[in-house]
Amino acid sequence: MTEVLGFAFMQRALVAGTIVGAVCAIVGVYVVLKGLSFIGAGIAHASFGGVALGFVLGIDPALTAVGFCLATAWAIGLVARRTQVKEDTAVGIFFASTMALGILLIGLMQGYNVDLFGYLFGSILAVTMQDLWITLSLGAGVLMVVVLFFKELLFVTFDAETAQAVGVPATRVYFLLISLIALTVVLSIKVVGIVLVSALLVTPAAAAYQLTEDFRRMMALAVVIGVGSTVGGLLLSYQLNTASGATIVLLATLVFFAAAAISPRRWRRKAGRALH
Amino acid sequence: MSDMRPPIIELDHVTVTLQDLLVLEDVTLQVTPGDFLAIIGPNGAGKTTLLKVILGLLRPASGTVRVFGRAPWKLNGERQRIGYVPQVFSVDLSFPVRASEVILMGRYGRMGLFRTPSPADRAAVHRAMERVGITELADRPIARLSGGQRQRVFLARALANEPELLLLDEPTTGVDMTSTEGLYELLRTLHESGMTILIVSHDVGVVASYVDGVACVNRRLVAHGRPTEVLGSQELAQMYGCDAMFFHHGRAPHMVVATER
Repeated sequence: MTEVLGFAFMQRALVAGTIVGAVCAIVGVYVVLKGLSFIGAGIAHASFGGVALGFVLGIDPALTAVGFCLATAWAIGLVARRTQVKEDTAVGIFFASTMALGILLIGLMQGYNVDLFGYLFGSILAVTMQDLWITLSLGAGVLMVVVLFFKELLFVTFDAETAQAVGVPATRVYFLLISLIALTVVLSIKVVGIVLVSALLVTPAAAAYQLTEDFRRMMALAVVIGVGSTVGGLLLSYQLNTASGATIVLLATLVFFAAAAISPRRWRRKAGRALH
Repeated sequence: MSDMRPPIIELDHVTVTLQDLLVLEDVTLQVTPGDFLAIIGPNGAGKTTLLKVILGLLRPASGTVRVFGRAPWKLNGERQRIGYVPQVFSVDLSFPVRASEVILMGRYGRMGLFRTPSPADRAAVHRAMERVGITELADRPIARLSGGQRQRVFLARALANEPELLLLDEPTTGVDMTSTEGLYELLRTLHESGMTILIVSHDVGVVASYVDGVACVNRRLVAHGRPTEVLGSQELAQMYGCDAMFFHHGRAPHMVVATER
């Protein structure tokens, strides 16, 4: 087991996995508490269009995916806020149409052999130095925004209306939050893939939610569970020779069920029911 | 209620539509400093909408709104003169956050971006907790508060902003009778210290014995005046049956009359 840590590709994979696990968990706390998991899934699928665009234009797909995901996130937000279309309907529309656009673009490049499977399901062991830099800089950017707007993000996630009433620009903070989701999706694609990234955005935070009633503690626990799942899943997948993205997501899901089983929230609810 | 000071809140022929539905129609209402006004009316009557218009969260389709002399969606520094207690079920009550953190949120607008709480902010939070009597609940997660305690936390959050104007939306929902009366006693104390209070309520019987003005809203402003005038009036009973609400809430109308000071 230990000799594998000596390989450069494994070291890159572990660093990428750690960053992705931590950033997904932190942004995931807001996603879970504000009920944005469907938006997260929608933006993740939209990144397929962005990746395809990168291939067509011959530039790094991660860069086109950044622009594409941000645009999709804002479009969903605008449609949901400015029209009478509900948020989940807006997601449903963009979800499929951006993927369709991606499929169309890929189809135009006949004969070009693209590693689509790697983008769809992750290829963490094929993380290059350039991928790592993109993940690292996007991750640092997301974390910086979370630190700078910590209290505004908390207030708007908890009670957007009162936040606005006391002078916190709630709508702008909402758009900031969905932008963070978009960037987090892009930096995670290489590690877990488009199809599985939404799980990493939700599951560690949902597991942490089961274990605490303190906001900062929930965030810290989510990071531990997120990083534990990516690093643990990565090593496990190497050992078992299984798909790394899928192993990471399934490990996180196991942790979630374990957390739900021992959740003090759950026991208290049961005790409350027994009283009535 | 006639006062020479300029009104804090002025609504002039305000009409609000939400998704093509007429929610408020031609409402004209003034609130002067020191008023303690209850907005009552049946469910879906537009009471909450009225508060949201005053807070600048919704814009009227027609008519003008002035709060502290300005359109409410243009308020900046004036926001710190307003405290808002939303309907308790408008937030996720299992959210992992402690009482003192919720109360500190009342200061966020005042603190501004990129700032962490100063000793003055901490002191304001502590004062607000003392004022509503919940200092011992500071570290309690909100999921583990009773209905009455939770309502006091939300009130403390509004008070942490040190407001002149306090707006409350159905503050007694999910609160037992003893806590409800405790809450109203608290509001009376705040009112006596000079705070202007506007409370949306449907427990007419209780609220009438504390406030000095009642506005009955059912899309239109049906009646507005002293509790005895409004709640005793024939037209009100006919139009929307505020008296019918007495039956629902099990309070005899004479309770209201008895409270005239």
